[in-house]
Formats: sequence, C-alpha cells, structure tokens
Amino acid sequence: MNIDEIFDYTSFTIDREPHIVLDYDICTGCDNRGCVNSCPARCYTWSEEEKKMTFVHDGCLECGTCYVVCHRNAFTRWRYPRGGFGVAYRMT
Amino acid sequence: MSKTYQAIVIGAGPAGSSAALVMARAGLDVALVERGSFPGEKNMFGGVLHRMPALEEIFPDFWDRAALGRHIIKKGVTFMTDDSSFSTVIEAGNFDTPPFNGYSIFRPRFDNWLAQEAVKAGATLITRATVDDLVYKDGKISGVTIVGRQGELRAPVVIAADGVLSFIAKKAGLRQPTFDPSQMAVGVKGLIDMPREMINDRFGLVREQGFANEFVGCTAGVRGGGFLYTNYDSLSIGLVFHLASLRTSGKTPYDLLNTFMEQPQVAKMICGGKLQEYSAHLIPEGGYDMIPELVGDGILVAGDAAALCNATGLNLEGINLASQSGVIAGKAVIEAHQNKDFSKRGLSAYKTLLDESYVIKDLKMSRKAPHMLHNDRIYNEYPELMCSFMESIYRINGAPKDNLTKLFLKSAKEKVGLGNMLADGFSAWRAL
Repeated sequence: MNIDEIFDYTSFTIDREPHIVLDYDICTGCDNRGCVNSCPARCYTWSEEEKKMTFVHDGCLECGTCYVVCHRNAFTRWRYPRGGFGVAYRMT
Repeated sequence: MSKTYQAIVIGAGPAGSSAALVMARAGLDVALVERGSFPGEKNMFGGVLHRMPALEEIFPDFWDRAALGRHIIKKGVTFMTDDSSFSTVIEAGNFDTPPFNGYSIFRPRFDNWLAQEAVKAGATLITRATVDDLVYKDGKISGVTIVGRQGELRAPVVIAADGVLSFIAKKAGLRQPTFDPSQMAVGVKGLIDMPREMINDRFGLVREQGFANEFVGCTAGVRGGGFLYTNYDSLSIGLVFHLASLRTSGKTPYDLLNTFMEQPQVAKMICGGKLQEYSAHLIPEGGYDMIPELVGDGILVAGDAAALCNATGLNLEGINLASQSGVIAGKAVIEAHQNKDFSKRGLSAYKTLLDESYVIKDLKMSRKAPHMLHNDRIYNEYPELMCSFMESIYRINGAPKDNLTKLFLKSAKEKVGLGNMLADGFSAWRAL
C-alpha cells in the first residue's frame, strides 16, 4: 500500500473549509512533531530546509491521533468536519 | 431549525443508538444526531463483535436480526519476528454452535442497522449533523447546536456518545481538557478483497465459519499488536499502536502496516487479495483510570466517550461495553423523566447501574493491565524468545541436544534476561 494513493483506497467528500487549523509558528518551535510520523494518513509534513510544517486536511481519516500526540496544542481549530463531509467508510 | 425533544443523543454508534432505542421504546421523543451521512460511515474497528448482553435482552432474536458476518470458530495468537512465527490456535467445537462467541462485522452495516432499529422504535435520526456545542439556559443544559446550521435542538438532557475524543464531555467539564498519549492507541486497518472459496480453503473454514488471529512482535518494537479477521469475501488486517510509543518511535503506521503485510508468513495469508479500503481510529486504552465523570447536570457520557474499553492484551472489548452503557444511560434518562429531575442526582442511576454491571466490574478487575502492557519486552523480546525456542526444539542437525529446560533457559537468557522474565511474569499474573 502506498499512502500517497490514499484516495484510491478510501472515499472522501472534501470540505473546502478545513476542520483542523494549525498555528504553524507553534509547529516551527516544536521539539517533537510527533504528528508527522504518527498521523495514519500522512496529513502532516515537515520541511527541515524551510523549517516549515505543511498540513493538508483532504485525506484526514478523522482519527484524532494528531489531537492527542500534539503536546503544544498547536490547533487553533480541531473539530470534526461538518455533517456530510470528510471520510466515508464503505465496509470497514 | 429549532425543535424540542425529550432527549438528545449525540452519535449514532453502538452506545448512542442503544440509548436512543431504549428511550424510544419507552415512548420518549428522542433525537439521535449523527455527523456521518449515515450511521457507521465514520466508524471502524478491529473486526470481531462478541456477545452483546444488553442488545440480546432487547432483541431475543438479536443474532438473527443484526447485520453480522462470519461467526468466529477459530482464534489464534501468533508471536512473530521479521522472518519467523509461532502460532497457537484454538478451534473449539462449541464455537461453532449458537449462541456464537463472536462475529466479524462491518461497522457501516452494523451501526446503520442498530440506528435503524432505534428509528423503528420511534427515534428521530438526524444525519449529516456535527454537534458543535451545548446550549445552556438558566445554568442548565437545554440543547445542542449543529456546525453550520442555524438554530438548535432542544432537550432537557443530552447523552454524549460522540466517540473517543468526546468534545461534548470536554465542553461539559466532565473529561480532562487534554489526553495522555500513553492512554490512547491508534488502529490502522486494510480491508482486502478475496474470493470466499479462497478464504475458506486458506484458513480451513466451511459454511459461515470465521477465523480471528492476533499478532505480537509485528510492530518493529512499537508497543502494539496486529490482527487478521476473515469476513465473507474479504480479510481485515491491521495494527494497533500505543500512541506514546508510536510518537517516540518516529515510525509511521502505514509503513509498519506494509512491513507487517510483507512479513513472509503474513504475505502468504493475504496473497491474491486486493486492498479495498484503508481506515484508522483511536482506541481509549487507559482502562478504569481513564474513565471521565460519567454524569453531570443534564448530561450522561457513554461508550468510547466514557473510555469504556477493555484492553487486557488477550481481548479487546469496546462495542459490547458501549452498547451496555448506552442502554443503561437510556434507562437513567427514562427514570429522570418520570421524576422530572435532570440534575446530576436525578441521573445518578446511570452510574449506580453501570457500577453494578460487568462494564465497570471488568474494567476494575483489569485495572492494572494497561500498565503491564507498557512493557517494551512484550513487543520484541518475548516473540523472539518464543520463535527461537520453538525453532531450537525442532532443529535436528546432528548436534547433541540440550534438554528442554536448558534450551529454554538459554533462549530466555539471550533474549530477555531471567530477572526481567520473573518480574514480567509477576506483573502479568497480578494484572490478569
């Protein structure tokens, strides 16, 4: 399985408005960034060269791992997508 | 959109739908609010549903009515390393006669079935509705608001069955504002399509029989384990990791899942199948010590939201506890309506009845299990010990043999250390 192809495996109805919003300054100052490796959908990527965190909500599985592992509370918003949006499991 | 109900249930999972079902059957006007476009759309789990005493009481024919899969007649545990594995399998004759001990199920089907039963009983199911916040009037809970929608749903009492992160329990001040990653686990799962005949032949099954296997030693040293369950026409395969351990490991869940699926013995089990779906979910694994305040003025917390999950290392229970807690919460709300008292005191039957049920009794009994499971040796050294010991027993190569005790002690010294082994044995005995 290639996680880059998550949209081939799992269905999403993507909301334009993200349900998770980060304060990237906090991520830049973080000494841990456990979200990057722990997120099962690889929504978080850290660029060491640019010292920059990138977050994409499109393939989010709404599991909450980032919410629990982030010890800096970098979220200015963390809620579930509004009704009808986000991941849609068919048979799992 | 503003409408008044006698109770609002947030989340149409096993806890919420069970609660709504009980209340609707007692004649209460109940709103069952679900953020998915149908109940179960957002839900996944390992894959085996065990006995459901609460629902079996409501539906004497539960096992004929519910949306179930294969019944599990064979359960295995595999201790594995990168290239070896040692398995034990129990196939009991009475696992193949009703009432069955467990079924593989799909949450989008099972949860939807249960929610529809609540609807048949008279509950109002509102889908595509993410609850945003609680509404208070004169200091009392009077309803909820929905993300992106005007107005509110009103009721004097709310059951928060909104899942493991329960933002509603947080907003009501019933759970701690942050979670401890060492009390949480994340599960990732692949659903693999496979023809029914191939599954039956490969795993030694006939008719509607199913197989469930757990794996230890498959997580590259991260605390956790693996599972493989047979569905009718597919396999569920996945890993569960303790979050604190995963975070510090620097490893990713999907890479570990790939490595697991490529381990030679596992690869043979899934060979010929095709990945259909990838999913992930958190599991509250902190046990009894993680349970939040269960009752507040005008509010009850049930299911994963109340951390009602029993992970002892041998079994992983959650849906049964969720459903039981939902039924009990529903009963407490019915009583509160009779007495017109929705205060914490008026709803306190929930806690009393839950304490008396197997839910809290079991969680109390395995209270020490979460600590025992925070032992890195379980996930690396012991599986290696099992495999190397068994391999040395069966190795026949002309070299003179040691007796079994000597062989075992040699492997144990090498892989674990005798002192560690004694200590771990003692802590396991105390925990279980």
